[in-house]
Amino acid sequence: MQKTVSSPGGKRDWLNPSLLYKIFGGVLFAYLFLGFMVVPCLNTLTSIFTAKDAAGNTDPLAVIRFFLAGSMPSFVWNSVKLAVCLVVTVNVVGISIVLLTEYFDIKGAKILRLGYMTTLIYSGVALVTGYQFLYDSNGIITKWMVEMFPDINKQWFSGFNAVLFTMTFACTSNHALFLRNAIRGIDYNTVEAARNLGAKPFKVLLKVVMPTLLPTLFSLTVMTFITGLCAMSAPTLLGYNSINPEIVRLAGSSVADEAFPQARAALLSIILAMFTMILLTVLNHYERKGHYLSVSKTKAKLVKQKIQNPAANVLAHIYAYVLFIIYMTPVVMILVFSFQNWASVRAKVLNPSEWTLINYFGTQDYQYTRSNGKTATRYNAISGVFSNEKTVGGIQLSFVLAAIAAALACVIVVVAVNYIFKNKNKKRAVVVESCLLFPWLLPTILICYSFRIFFNGEVWYVFNQNLYFRENVRILIILAYTVVKLPFALRMIKAAFYAIDDELEDAARNLGASGLVTFLKVKLPIVLPSVLAVFALNFNTLFTEYDMGATFQKSEGTTYAMVMQSMTNEEGRDSMNMNASGRRCASTVFIMLVSGLILYLVYGVGARDLGERLERREKRRRFWRKITGRAGKDVKA
Amino acid sequence: MIKLTDIVVKFGEFEALHNINVHVKEGEFFTFLGPSGCGKTTTLRTITGFIEPVSGKVEMQGRDITRVPIEKRNIGIVFQSYALFPTMTVHDNIAFGLKIKKLKKDEIEQKVKTIARKVDLTDEQLAKAVSQLSGGQQQRVAIARALVTEPAIICMDEPLSNLDAKLRVQLRNELKKMQREFGITTIYVTHDQEEALTLSDRIAVFNKGYIEQIGTPNEVYNFSKTEFVANFIGDINRLEGEAVKGLHLDKNRHHFIRLERIRVNRPKDEGEYQTKGVIESREYYGLYIKYYIRIGDQSVKVIEKNDGINIYDVGETVTVGIHPQDVMSYDA
Repeated sequence: MQKTVSSPGGKRDWLNPSLLYKIFGGVLFAYLFLGFMVVPCLNTLTSIFTAKDAAGNTDPLAVIRFFLAGSMPSFVWNSVKLAVCLVVTVNVVGISIVLLTEYFDIKGAKILRLGYMTTLIYSGVALVTGYQFLYDSNGIITKWMVEMFPDINKQWFSGFNAVLFTMTFACTSNHALFLRNAIRGIDYNTVEAARNLGAKPFKVLLKVVMPTLLPTLFSLTVMTFITGLCAMSAPTLLGYNSINPEIVRLAGSSVADEAFPQARAALLSIILAMFTMILLTVLNHYERKGHYLSVSKTKAKLVKQKIQNPAANVLAHIYAYVLFIIYMTPVVMILVFSFQNWASVRAKVLNPSEWTLINYFGTQDYQYTRSNGKTATRYNAISGVFSNEKTVGGIQLSFVLAAIAAALACVIVVVAVNYIFKNKNKKRAVVVESCLLFPWLLPTILICYSFRIFFNGEVWYVFNQNLYFRENVRILIILAYTVVKLPFALRMIKAAFYAIDDELEDAARNLGASGLVTFLKVKLPIVLPSVLAVFALNFNTLFTEYDMGATFQKSEGTTYAMVMQSMTNEEGRDSMNMNASGRRCASTVFIMLVSGLILYLVYGVGARDLGERLERREKRRRFWRKITGRAGKDVKA
Repeated sequence: MIKLTDIVVKFGEFEALHNINVHVKEGEFFTFLGPSGCGKTTTLRTITGFIEPVSGKVEMQGRDITRVPIEKRNIGIVFQSYALFPTMTVHDNIAFGLKIKKLKKDEIEQKVKTIARKVDLTDEQLAKAVSQLSGGQQQRVAIARALVTEPAIICMDEPLSNLDAKLRVQLRNELKKMQREFGITTIYVTHDQEEALTLSDRIAVFNKGYIEQIGTPNEVYNFSKTEFVANFIGDINRLEGEAVKGLHLDKNRHHFIRLERIRVNRPKDEGEYQTKGVIESREYYGLYIKYYIRIGDQSVKVIEKNDGINIYDVGETVTVGIHPQDVMSYDA
């Protein structure tokens, strides 16, 4: 809407309710931003320079000296090494899967695509434990490999190799989504033009197709690098000394055990933040330069390219299906073994004659022979996901925390974006937007670590409460979840608000609707599918979130992912909890089901507009009329 | 009915409207015409209340509404994009304003059905989502929604601009028919001169925040008050060189003539100036043919009815005749 120098509404009255709302909103926003973003993080930063030496004197450079003299740089180096290697491997695999399913004519591309996209419903700690199930020293694949090549190192799946292997396949989700969209956006006429001008297929791919994908690839590379730097679940579970697991370890340590644990953790998280900020600044600068958009007014749909050379074609097909097997094996194995009894799961040998739901429901006693030869029974030792108190507790807690945080993030962002759009091109809108994007600049670990340290004591502006104390930690987790999810919610919901035509608001106002009614009845219904999608996607990631749960590790705040991690630990203890593996498989299947259902609801059901929904309703009505009509005839007959 | 007096609108330092004065009469189809950025939409938005003028007065039925909130002005609007709420059915779109006014459910139903019948929307269409309707049907919904609250006037902001040429002509006729049936005062904004000429009772031609001329279609076309209006409405020739001399026109002024007023190979009328010209090129339009004829050092455009007999070839020499009274002259 155009604005004149004076706006309708008249003079400013201090008792004007809308002005009071604005003041209240401003104060609340400042409280939330300063209290839950700036102050805790600043506290972390200052803690580095206020560390006290043995004599109790403040030594601003003590931590940095300690850092440089000790083994701390190795954590940074390890993280950087992982990030650099991941950039290469993820891009190779990511570009491959997109080209194989979208650009080249590979038989069975639809099935392949489904396999490559399994990481969308199967990620984080569930994926890592799934890979462990297959590849660790006792894993199915490792066993097969040892049988075939007895000289092979059984412990190959640990440390850097394991982390790199796992994360390479875990981190291609963004390629599968964004690079796929980019390649589908290519104007096929440009490919035809290049062919017409004499370019061979490989040349076309290299000189015409790839350059148009470069901006997307650059963004994906930066995001992959940051993911590598901030890796948490894979290094923790597979044993690799990188920054994040070390921060978590130090956060839980005390000065009695080692020097400056908290200040060192703070320094590591600040180093991570600096890396992230530099990379995001570069990315932002690059994105501002613009993308290669098609200038064509009549864009032609990309036609899949046949690989003309028969040998290359066969090799491409083999490569595609090898990747498919790597992606699908953990998913299939986890699914299959989730229906096997504890003995099969433990031995990792499939027993086709015995299938069970014990990993999901019910409990079972476990009888075993002691070293003295006597038989003993451990009652209810074998329990399914939904019969195991700890697991159900983790699921319930994660469900509630994730739902509240995802909803909070959406509400905050919807209100803020409505404000931003109402104040387009004004400084206050830029300020609000920047504040909401602030957490994007900071690694999750820094925010969580700062929360844990800062709120582990009475803080005046949270009513003198210790938010890290007992059940209070759940509030802290909700706050951290919400803060971390704000930037993503902002980017997605802001994009949805762009779809609202200014004239719709004018029309509603012209028909007599107040600002609130216009928002609730006109604008919100338009953006609601996107808001629900953001809610669902945030819920999805938070439900199985590991990094933050690990940072806040506390019995009152044991989330689902932490329960899964503890199952992995339990398996290590001989006979202590023999069906933890089975329950872990079932837990992973449950996560895949929840994630899959949410993605279906978001992209399948939620993406339909009113017209489509009415059409479907009409079809259903017709179908039932037909059925009931026939039934009537049958009865008469 | 609607009277604008000395309206000035500013966007920051930029003055978008300079002392606009318009008087739209009851039941009139009044069009604001002009190129983009000329101030026609700003004037319309000032009337509807989306923009408050820095100075001047907006009156409706004798009442000053300059500071009256949008929703209390009783003005219906049909937007350029139609601004139909995509998450509501056609019925709910039309009923929206009535629900806001908190009318009883029965009354809303009755009013929606009545207006839907008047704009030719079926019950089946009322149950549909707006995305399921064609462009023409969507326009009817937008009109129904604007009219159902019984506004004193209706404002339309380029409602045909998003449609293809054929549908535009078809809906233009329907629009005029509907306006006559409802008898409602209509203010229509367009940059399309053909639309303005065919639909309007009167037209205000805007340029750079000023009104250049207000008049009937005939007045603005045949008796354009300013050089801008003459150029903006329809196609026109500027006479130069030999023609100016032959017609004894003032060399210090600019002289224009409409294409259809130039006569080709006709017997000389009294007072008519005739000269020889050569056909440079021609464009075939079916109903008529447009010729580019070289007269001395200038080329003039001429339209001749396509009678199938008198069709001139390129290179052919023809007689070109101009009546001095058909020439429109303006100060340079």
